[in-house]
Amino acid sequence: MSISRDDILQIATLAKLSVEESELPELTKDMAQMIAFADAINAVSTEASDFDNINGLVNVMREDVVEPSFSRDDILKNAESQDDGFFLVKKRS
Amino acid sequence: MKYELVSGLETHVELATNTKIFCSCTTEFGGDQNTHCCPICIGLPGTLPKLNQKVVDYAIMAGLATNCEISPISKMDRKNYCYPDLPKAYQISQYDMPLCKNGYIELSNGRKIGITRIHIEEDAGKLVHQRGNTYVDYNRGGVPLIEIVSEPDIRSVEEAREYVEKLQMIMRYIGVSDCKMQEGSLRCDVNISLRPVGQKEFGTRTEIKNMNSFTFMEKAMKYEISRQADLLDSGQPVVQETLRYIVEEDRTESMRGKEDANDYRYFREPDLVTIEVPAEKVEKFRAALPELPDPKRHRYIEQLGLPEPDANLLVKYRKVAEFFEAASDGVKNPKNVANCIIGQIFRRVENEAQKEAFEISIPPEYLRDLVLLLDSGKIKMNLLKSTLEKMLDSGKPASEFISENDLAGIDPDTLKTLCTQALEQNPNAVSDYLGGKEKALKSLLGHVMKNSRGRADAMEAEQLLIALIRS
Ligand SMILES: [Zn+2]
Repeated sequence: MSISRDDILQIATLAKLSVEESELPELTKDMAQMIAFADAINAVSTEASDFDNINGLVNVMREDVVEPSFSRDDILKNAESQDDGFFLVKKRS
Repeated sequence: MKYELVSGLETHVELATNTKIFCSCTTEFGGDQNTHCCPICIGLPGTLPKLNQKVVDYAIMAGLATNCEISPISKMDRKNYCYPDLPKAYQISQYDMPLCKNGYIELSNGRKIGITRIHIEEDAGKLVHQRGNTYVDYNRGGVPLIEIVSEPDIRSVEEAREYVEKLQMIMRYIGVSDCKMQEGSLRCDVNISLRPVGQKEFGTRTEIKNMNSFTFMEKAMKYEISRQADLLDSGQPVVQETLRYIVEEDRTESMRGKEDANDYRYFREPDLVTIEVPAEKVEKFRAALPELPDPKRHRYIEQLGLPEPDANLLVKYRKVAEFFEAASDGVKNPKNVANCIIGQIFRRVENEAQKEAFEISIPPEYLRDLVLLLDSGKIKMNLLKSTLEKMLDSGKPASEFISENDLAGIDPDTLKTLCTQALEQNPNAVSDYLGGKEKALKSLLGHVMKNSRGRADAMEAEQLLIALIRS
């Protein structure tokens, strides 16, 4: 599979990354190599029925019974920033 | 130029489960921000989602009620996109193997709107934008949704509205969602494109996101239709994009370029196993479905002899229909029960939420007993009406208000005496009536009804009054 300059720009947009014009040739080359690496997987033939998990489990489900949620302090403990009980996503300056 | 609308809807319905789709946090609406959360629904690394059985059951019911096939095998997928309402940066949804597919909803004009698929997925959190910052509340994150995707079969704003109303009615009937648009438990994304009348190919479409009221949906569609028509008329292309409707300004605005399915980089969710739905299970659910609004309406009209508008009003809310059916059990003419509900009881349950809950002071059996008195000729219509009001005020049965004396009715001689008295005591009303004032008769009738303590039959009394005046 070939990778174009436009593909890189599109991927950068989706990943919310800004990419310099000068970086494009290098990135395009790197990405092409990574994709080529993954091509090895395509070489292995798979049956349509083999889409399943390797463990072969089906219908692992739970009953619809409420259990207590975590305290808000615990929920927010790892947040980079918070305000008034909310996770806070700060304006990019 | 004259254009035809081509529209399809994606309707998100929040399921009325107790817990979220992948964890045991409550789905209760409201609650202080970030208090209905756990490590699973805020997407902390190392957590393992486990599917709520009820979500699968409800989705199957929704599929059956909309004429879908239920997939014997389906699976969950990751839909990747980066936005703060999605803590994992992906939404667990279903991509190429949805639970339900190939259904339809039939509109009142006989057109069938195809349902491409119904899949299950998790809702996102709620964002509040303030002073350039974004405040995130994940209480709603992980609440189970079904997304009902229609074919682009809708040809008018009215059809779009009816389609959503029908979906709402059906989902409420089968009890899988309360479908409250104002609380966001039913919201629609509307795809819109235009094509010159007679053309087969579709035009370029735009998508208006997150319509959460019928009024706004209609306004947004009308705006977008005329915007696209203007563009096409002036030879400009319609750009495929995602739009938001600005209520205050009655216009749509671009949110972002439309993503392709590719952009979401869907892949199988490795943390969740395959969902298998055996045929026996599907049949069990099919057998357990309640009678749906359309067949019910049909039965009311065909078998119970109700006029269509009455049938429509009664089937709209399941609890109203249940009350009607219990109250008309064994009654000669169900139309009398329908009249009581539509004419009198509905006046006490004015808004939609009240009709939905239909909590009224008397059980349906009380109404049935009252109507049975009418059936057997023991009371007349006017006494039935006034008694029903008293019953509704007090929550007591008819026997509290109707004495043996009343049940005896009123004999023709007494009625004649009462009418004669009314004429003698109100000579002015008589001359007014003779002078052409029809209204004067009503005041005479009022006297008769009052003096008979409501036992006289209004029709009979009115006819007798006219006869006496003219004699
Ligand atoms: Zn949770």
